[in-house]
Amino acid sequence: MADNSIMCDVAIVGSGFAGSFIANELSKQGIKVVILEAGPDVQPNFNAYMKSFFVASSKVPESPYPPAVRDSQNNFINPNDVAVGRPSSLTVGGSTWKNPDQAYLDQSEPESKRPFKSTYERLAGGTAHWMGLTPRLVPNDFRMQDKYGKGHGFVNWPIDYDTIEPFYRQAEAEMGVSADVDEQRFCDIHFPDNYQYPMPKIPPSLFDQLVSQKLADLDDRDTQFLGMGRSVTSLAVRSLPAARNSQPYRNRRACSGNTNCIPICPIQAKYDPTITLNEATNNGVRLVHHAVASEILLENGRVSGITFLTYDSEDGPKTGSGVIKATVYVIAANGIETPRLLLMSKNKGQTPDGIANSSDMVGRNLMDHPQYLSWGLLQDPIFPYRGPLVTSAIGELCDGPFRAQRAAFRVSLGNEGWTTVVGGGARFGADPNVTTLDIVNGMNFSGVNTKDHTGLGGDNLALFGRDLTQTLGNLISRQFRIAFPIEQNPDANNRVRLSSAVDKLGLQRPKIYYDISDYTKQGFAAAYHLKKLIFTKLGAIDFTSVPKDDPAAFKIDGIPELFSYGGAGHVMGTYRMGKDPKASVVDEWQCSHDHPNLYLVGSGAFPTVGTANPTLTLCALALRTAEHIFKTLPSLKS
Amino acid sequence: MDHDRERKAGETEPLTPVVKISRRAMVAGMVATTAIAAVLPLSNSAFAQTSDEDMVAFLVLSAALTGVDIHTLAPEFSRGSGDILSADPGIDPINIKSAYFRQVNAPGTAASFAKLLQIAKKNPISQENIIATVNHSDDDTKFLARSIVLLWYLGSWYEPADLKNAVASPESVHGPITQKVLSAKAYTQGLVWQIVGAHPMGYSNLQFGYWSRHPHDPNSGVDLFSPAKFPL
Repeated sequence: MADNSIMCDVAIVGSGFAGSFIANELSKQGIKVVILEAGPDVQPNFNAYMKSFFVASSKVPESPYPPAVRDSQNNFINPNDVAVGRPSSLTVGGSTWKNPDQAYLDQSEPESKRPFKSTYERLAGGTAHWMGLTPRLVPNDFRMQDKYGKGHGFVNWPIDYDTIEPFYRQAEAEMGVSADVDEQRFCDIHFPDNYQYPMPKIPPSLFDQLVSQKLADLDDRDTQFLGMGRSVTSLAVRSLPAARNSQPYRNRRACSGNTNCIPICPIQAKYDPTITLNEATNNGVRLVHHAVASEILLENGRVSGITFLTYDSEDGPKTGSGVIKATVYVIAANGIETPRLLLMSKNKGQTPDGIANSSDMVGRNLMDHPQYLSWGLLQDPIFPYRGPLVTSAIGELCDGPFRAQRAAFRVSLGNEGWTTVVGGGARFGADPNVTTLDIVNGMNFSGVNTKDHTGLGGDNLALFGRDLTQTLGNLISRQFRIAFPIEQNPDANNRVRLSSAVDKLGLQRPKIYYDISDYTKQGFAAAYHLKKLIFTKLGAIDFTSVPKDDPAAFKIDGIPELFSYGGAGHVMGTYRMGKDPKASVVDEWQCSHDHPNLYLVGSGAFPTVGTANPTLTLCALALRTAEHIFKTLPSLKS
Repeated sequence: MDHDRERKAGETEPLTPVVKISRRAMVAGMVATTAIAAVLPLSNSAFAQTSDEDMVAFLVLSAALTGVDIHTLAPEFSRGSGDILSADPGIDPINIKSAYFRQVNAPGTAASFAKLLQIAKKNPISQENIIATVNHSDDDTKFLARSIVLLWYLGSWYEPADLKNAVASPESVHGPITQKVLSAKAYTQGLVWQIVGAHPMGYSNLQFGYWSRHPHDPNSGVDLFSPAKFPL
């Protein structure tokens, strides 16, 4: 790309979910849209990503996608030498998370109290490694301050469930969501009378069916600790709404249970944004790839252009630069990269705190859904590694009077054995390798190679032949995991700032301050007690453990065990919506309070996060924003 | 895919498989050749010096150690009526056995590999004897046997020396034990998944909804795991 000036009606930075949705909607109205995408274009052949995945020694979420994280000697590539870097699941623990020469996010300062563990992608289609789950937020999630008080930093959204509801339906149609509408009417979620989801629900796995059976009849004294304000004598296991075809839908096949949703569906039965992005580009949207937005320019209070840098290869360097000029600008770069760009935009010292930041809220209130991970061994085989990674969950515990005191959570049932949890998480790479190595090589990093569990004559046995197949088959087929994604309350000290460390293009990398509040820790405590109840009902042996040197580890009063968390891949809160320009960054249309032609979209706009995966909600908001942009474009042009 | 090597040119009868090949392996083979790069077109031609007898010994050894049916390891394996070591290892479209043989026969491990092949040649009939002899061998040989099992099970190569170190001093192991996925094909041919009634993550040719049913449900369409049968 030569030095360049691009003109259009609407310029969008980022081609993930929000960027692709908005581009597509506007292109249908004949609006001239150009997208700047930092990473490479949509691949002509999907198999390139599949091959990267197949040969990856660690099958972490980023494993199919560029850029590489390790070199041919297996050392971490210094993020200083990467043109368009992003966080890696391999550098969220140990000592690597504190080392900006190994980890893309700078968490070296004391204010980075615990590792922020979620990752994302920067390429056309955005974070396509997502799980594909599309639950809605529940009505009370939008009015946390009204319902549960200001005590934990809660604020209200500037819109309510009823306002966003029609856009939820539109997003569900665009992605193709499979769910049973009757099953989803809990915690006040409501639909128009005749609404049906685009496709029937994903059928439950054998594990789902077992949990459902075992939790159908509970003693309400055992569930009182949940603080639901009502008697709980059963917990319903429901199929999770998912953007995962249960039938052929819009030229894509039905799911065939590749058990690989994260990181990549081999047959695109799981929706990813390249599908909408391709429609948009077919409709005239221009995607400029390998183009990294570097500064947002201001003139008289309005955005007058966005400069960008170009490059050719993963290790850079910069090959050129350009500027894009439009009537309306949409930043859709995700909850860390969008604040990064806003903060980087200094306009020759005129906006030293970045743009759109009169509230000082840009980058603040970073939230994830930290996951309490538990895993165990059942008495009888349940046959994991079959079907989508997650098919069902217990959702109805996500709201209740307890939210005045402690964080809410959902209960996610996993079909992937111990693949993400064993051996202290990513310490030894994914299962089934760890369990297999244990039984072949006579070790016990999984915890399962003792005579109690194998039924054999000793501990740490190394087996061959029939003993091996029978033991391994017996053990792995009984492994399961249950994850509890837990709400975080807003904390202005959890934030995205700029590091002095740069990438290969010379741009300052994100610096993250992150911690877990007492409110959220009390959510972990409740999840822990529920875990014990569920494991008892299942007759399962608990293998949950946390290494002492885990930098994420924490204790909770009254509970002897150490806790830790996994990242959910949800990056939220960092340019939140609100009515008050002093306490929020954008309004209900995701338009900056400070600049009338600037929109900041994505889950960074969420003022509170509930417990639902953010993708469906951010897509619904994007559709609403697209409608608003279309309506107001003529007035901004004049 | 030519099963019957005696077929005369121009014959129009449908080919009958000489050896039963699971439908899954067949489909997997076809998918593998389109989706995965670099499948050697004439697999055995790269190993002119690997005698059939060595390959059969490798298969006998592998069946004994992995506990998996020799016809799963080598779908075209043909026992014949004579001595087991004169069996035909066969050429199948995936031919993962040749990739594994080549990996194990690399200079660093070739000497121990030769010892393992000798164990199989000396006692090709008894699985128990093969396993017992391997377990009583020197460390290099014993740990190489484990690397071979892990190759078949996971499609990944673990150095015998790393395996030995992990057992000798587990407290020194702070990160993942170094492994190298041999190839995309090797990953998709891993056998641990079949042993537990599943499929490699990212590589399933099953049908929508199968996960709601038990693996042994006749509607599951799953190829069930076949254990090794000795004497071969």
